[in-house]
Amino acid sequence: MSRIIVITSGKGGVGKTTSTANIGMAIASRGHQVAVVDADFGLRNLDLLLGLENRIVYTAVDVLAGECTLEKALVKDKRQPKLVLLPAAQNRTKDAVTPDQMKRLVSELAKTYEYILIDSPAGIEMGFRNAIAGAQEAIIVTTPEIAAVRDADRVIGLLEAHSIKRIQLVVNRIRPAMVEANDMMSVQDVQEILAIPLIGAIPDDERVIVSTNRGEPLVLGENNSLAAVAYNNIARRLDGEKVEFLDLNAPPAGFFARIRRFFGSKPRS
Amino acid sequence: MTVDSSVPSPVETIPESPPQPVLPLQVHLKGEEGRLLLLLPPETPNLDGSPTSLTWPDLWLQLKQRLNAGERFWQTNTPVHLMAQDRLLDGRQLQEIADALSESQLKLERVYTSRRQTAVAAAAAGYSVDQLSAAIAFLNKPNSQPGQALAEPLYLQTTLRSGVEVRHPGTVVLLGDVNPGSSVVADGDIIIWGRLRGLVHAGAKGNAQCLIMALQMEPTQLRIADNVARAPEKPPAEFYPEVAYVTPQGIRIARATGFVRPNLS
Repeated sequence: MSRIIVITSGKGGVGKTTSTANIGMAIASRGHQVAVVDADFGLRNLDLLLGLENRIVYTAVDVLAGECTLEKALVKDKRQPKLVLLPAAQNRTKDAVTPDQMKRLVSELAKTYEYILIDSPAGIEMGFRNAIAGAQEAIIVTTPEIAAVRDADRVIGLLEAHSIKRIQLVVNRIRPAMVEANDMMSVQDVQEILAIPLIGAIPDDERVIVSTNRGEPLVLGENNSLAAVAYNNIARRLDGEKVEFLDLNAPPAGFFARIRRFFGSKPRS
Repeated sequence: MTVDSSVPSPVETIPESPPQPVLPLQVHLKGEEGRLLLLLPPETPNLDGSPTSLTWPDLWLQLKQRLNAGERFWQTNTPVHLMAQDRLLDGRQLQEIADALSESQLKLERVYTSRRQTAVAAAAAGYSVDQLSAAIAFLNKPNSQPGQALAEPLYLQTTLRSGVEVRHPGTVVLLGDVNPGSSVVADGDIIIWGRLRGLVHAGAKGNAQCLIMALQMEPTQLRIADNVARAPEKPPAEFYPEVAYVTPQGIRIARATGFVRPNLS
């Protein structure tokens, strides 16, 4: 039974696409067949973050128009053969696709792939409705800012109305020092408003920007940052493992010791 | 006048009075003699010409929200009678209503409508149909005359999330949080068994005797009748269940324990 998960947020720029790329990659490296679907028609980015832009030949719109098979449109990742990308069309808008068509595409993918991650566009209009059409569960990405949390709250309400009941939370871009100084909402503050289970908290990290620009998801990197560890932990929790949440507030000296411990005891495949 | 046993917290009163809310009706579920009535708001504009009409996606969303908020209170397979009034519903929309109901283990059985097309669509889908003449539907429409009795209290169990608005021509009791960005507008009292962080308006038709109660009072704004107030700038160090009420000086908030409405005796 495959799992179809939409990654959404309401507000733009909080890290939906980065999260999709990293969680997708991390699940694939755990040995699962993963398809990531870019549902952001007209403003596609997922291919860039995965470094697959120059390998796109067909897009989801071509599949729907019957110009190619679904198989043909899927872009395989050479670094991680278990991950494929279904690209969105760049020369169309969100209205080029209907929720029913999205549902068809996703259920077709579900025959082959164990995990299907759908990268939703920002907003709650047509593009959002397309993205959630085929999904059974959702991951909400938010940053610890009131605007992002407010929008996330609205989106959770819409998902619940669309009968997507399993909704989990990723709080992205936490700056522990600012939380400590009471200048930023803590993960607990966010959770108190949104009232959904937490699946991961990602610290703010400049290396995320570097990896984005290179088209290499952080979790593929050699020198693993805390953000990469956090994304790997999300993948493990999605997979049903119980994993302790990282202590983002620990002093920097403890960071590396803990990462070493983490990788010493549980080497990644 | 009874002296309030607890010290009312200072509440900043905002001078202007709130906009007189026009209350376009919302989707409403009501138990009656072992069945559930699903009332849809009428499609025609109000008598005063204000637009009431909800679009279909909004109406569907509201239905889903109300069903999610009341799930616990209905037994499975309770028959539902749809009071569609003068709303045009096609076969697909009727199907979507039936689907939403069956997700909550409810069964659509009968459709009351004053529109011929809706009646035909409902009959084609196999429901019992009662086609009322438009005149009768009009008579049943709630009027806006003063002196009307309030509707039965509305009891909801849900988290009101940003963007959701609950309006009810009576008292609203909500088991759950009212999040920032959401609102409750009631003609009677508003009782929140949870955190109140959104905007609430009690006594919306002008009854200043109405109260707002919450376990944790951190509202964006409080309105009672034509009074408006903000919560104190600094949240209190500790939260107690509190009651907001109207005094001649504006809205005041008092601890719920020992609260006696000053103008009761």
